[in-house]
Amino acid sequence: MSGVAGRGGALSGVRVVDFGQMVSGPWCAKLFADYGADVIKVELPGGDAARRAGPFPGDKPHPEKSGLFFAHNTNKRGVVCDVTQEAGRELFLRLAAKADLLIENNLPPRTRAWKLRYEDVAVVNPDIVMVSITPFGQSGPYSDWNACDLNAFHLSGAGSRYCGRPGEMPLEHGTFSADYFGGAAGAAWGFAAFFGRHLVGGGQHVDVSCAEAIAATFIGGQNIGGYAQDGRFDRRTGVGMSQAAPATILPCRDGHVWMLTIEQGQWQGLCRAMGNPEWASLEMFNDRQVRAENADILYPFIREWTMQHDKMEIMEKCQAEGCPITAVYTVEEVARQPHLAERGYFATIDHSELGPVRTLGAPFRLPASPGGPNRAAPLLGEHNDEVWGELLGLSASERAHLRAQRII
Amino acid sequence: MPSVSPSAKTLPLAGIRVLNLGWVWAGPVVGQTLAFLGAEVIKVESRTRFDLLRTLPPFAEGIVDPDRCLFNHAAWAGNGSITLDLRQAEAIELVGRLAALSDVVVENFGPGVMERFGLSYDVLRALKQDIILFSMPAAGLDGPLKDVRTYGLSLASLTGLDSLTGYKGGGPVPMENAFCDPFAGIFGAFGVLTALHHRRRTGEGQHVEFSQQEAAMQMIAPAFMDYTLNGRVAEPCGNEHPTRAAAPHAVFRCRGEDRWISIAVSSDEEWAGLVAAMEGPSWMREPAFATAGARLEHIDALHERLGAWTTAFDDRELAEHLQRHGVAAAPVLNVADLLHDPHYRARGTFIEVRHPLGFRETIYGSYVKMSRSTPQVCPGPSMGQDNDYVFRELLGLSEARYRDLIERKVIY
Repeated sequence: MSGVAGRGGALSGVRVVDFGQMVSGPWCAKLFADYGADVIKVELPGGDAARRAGPFPGDKPHPEKSGLFFAHNTNKRGVVCDVTQEAGRELFLRLAAKADLLIENNLPPRTRAWKLRYEDVAVVNPDIVMVSITPFGQSGPYSDWNACDLNAFHLSGAGSRYCGRPGEMPLEHGTFSADYFGGAAGAAWGFAAFFGRHLVGGGQHVDVSCAEAIAATFIGGQNIGGYAQDGRFDRRTGVGMSQAAPATILPCRDGHVWMLTIEQGQWQGLCRAMGNPEWASLEMFNDRQVRAENADILYPFIREWTMQHDKMEIMEKCQAEGCPITAVYTVEEVARQPHLAERGYFATIDHSELGPVRTLGAPFRLPASPGGPNRAAPLLGEHNDEVWGELLGLSASERAHLRAQRII
Repeated sequence: MPSVSPSAKTLPLAGIRVLNLGWVWAGPVVGQTLAFLGAEVIKVESRTRFDLLRTLPPFAEGIVDPDRCLFNHAAWAGNGSITLDLRQAEAIELVGRLAALSDVVVENFGPGVMERFGLSYDVLRALKQDIILFSMPAAGLDGPLKDVRTYGLSLASLTGLDSLTGYKGGGPVPMENAFCDPFAGIFGAFGVLTALHHRRRTGEGQHVEFSQQEAAMQMIAPAFMDYTLNGRVAEPCGNEHPTRAAAPHAVFRCRGEDRWISIAVSSDEEWAGLVAAMEGPSWMREPAFATAGARLEHIDALHERLGAWTTAFDDRELAEHLQRHGVAAAPVLNVADLLHDPHYRARGTFIEVRHPLGFRETIYGSYVKMSRSTPQVCPGPSMGQDNDYVFRELLGLSEARYRDLIERKVIY
């Protein structure tokens, strides 16, 4: 085995097959790759759809230059396998027979059409943990629907409840947040199923619905009990937290700040940071509750102050006064944040087509077994010979035959 | 232990014990995730300062009481509870004795707090050589921002995520609750498991550092890569595709108050499906919408035209209609919809349970389905519900000592 697997990461010795595309499955599998598992990414001959999704340097599409693909596939080995052909399907199952986990995010009708359901995989490897991460999951009336991250996020209630202005469209964060949420759930539950498979009698199918994971743990937590009991529920306000004020994002001279005080001492700290303006002592701003009731009056007052200052200056001043007030960092500002630089969060990796690429580093730190990306995402089929040859023992002529049939 | 069901033996993390000093939301969700998977999780809290989460409405039958917080019953389900006043040295000693019987200690205090309690990794390791300490501070244990004050609500501002959220052409719009808390909680459970696996392989424990900022930042990868490759700084873009690879890609108004549908078209095949579903109005054949590239270029006009069409329809009926044509579309649900939606009902996402205090309530169940293992989910713990089990059975305190500690409010 080459690369990270030889370095002895926390998960060295664990073999994962990644049969996913775009974000949820590949990112979940990347978490295993970050910590030293041998992750083999299997792509159809056309490649992971992320290879076509960009961002590309100069916006020029190129299957080996997608930033999305790069970010989610570091430390993996990559092979091609056309599972739509019977010989390809058999080859895929031979690989699955040697894996501890199979992580995939194909829509259930596709998995059925390929005859690569959990039942099919378990026949060749009863110990495998198959993690399926899809927008709606493997069961229920929407499981056969066509869907992507956006549909999953908004089926979770998160947009309607918590993001956007009243009367205007509910919003998702400008990223694949449902996919990431489902990916994290797949990693935790899938790895637990692997960790304890000797206790439960073998492998199993772990069915993650991205929509459901958010609906339950993010929305369900604070909202569902109250609605079931009282028949009332809340919707997005577009402002922030309605039980406290200030609790919103406000503009400032060079951007935006998250203006938040919950405890009374934090409000007093903010007043000091603002130089104790006269209006701050008005009765209508006395405590959290009345401030919340008078938020419409309060926010213009605070805005007048924020508009005269820069975000980092506001953050520094308020933090020094004990307030949980922060700058809304742009992507450029986080990319250059001294804190993250000093912590060595980012990683720069050489890629044969892209050159050196700066990417996000390890999501958490294991001092005894450090992780994080250190090997570029694979080119399409880059490790065909290594995996099909060395791991599965196919001879050069067998591989040539499979190539001729356009299977690998 | 009441919070762990008899069927826990059939769950994959049976036999793992977690001492959870985590509080509010993210830390308890680490415990919940591990508990749903079979670990025994003992949460430490105190009546000297009620956990913020236990003070948030709504409450069961409207009675304000830290043991009747409905948010708590859902978000802390799986955690057990013992009460200890950590300001007292005897309480710290008991935590240490409990850590010595545990596999993992979880905490989400700020940097240095565990040290001030006298519960640093070195102390814990002296008590149990292969202990795993899982720390999840907001921005890590070192670096210039290590002491930054944030709540889960505003943590996303430090990650770039907030700067991406909002309407096109406008400033950032806040996500009005801490999306990153349950995300970090579930993600954190994976972090704990990697350390457990390392321990199984090598016999070594370790101090895992899980910066919530760095973990949540994983979610900005698409925009970060655009910055890396093109130097472009992403701004809010409504519900558009994060790498601008699909159009239409948005939420559209439907018939009724605050009813919406999400529609995403990523391929020509799906576009053809949409055209068929709309019975091919002439504007769809205009050159401006003829190719994927053209549709992306004219996305605002496209969204406007599509929105003018969707507004006459019921969201659910329209989603079903579009699905029959292969288009990725789904209703945008609100909180009430979640409870009644046939999909979530079929999957048992929300469950009605009886609380030991006598009332019935609705919490979320096992939101991931496993073919071999089924967690039995009970409501989050009443304060100190596991004191008897932990202090008498597990630590073997004498009856007199136990009573004395309660009387002196060490156990409190």
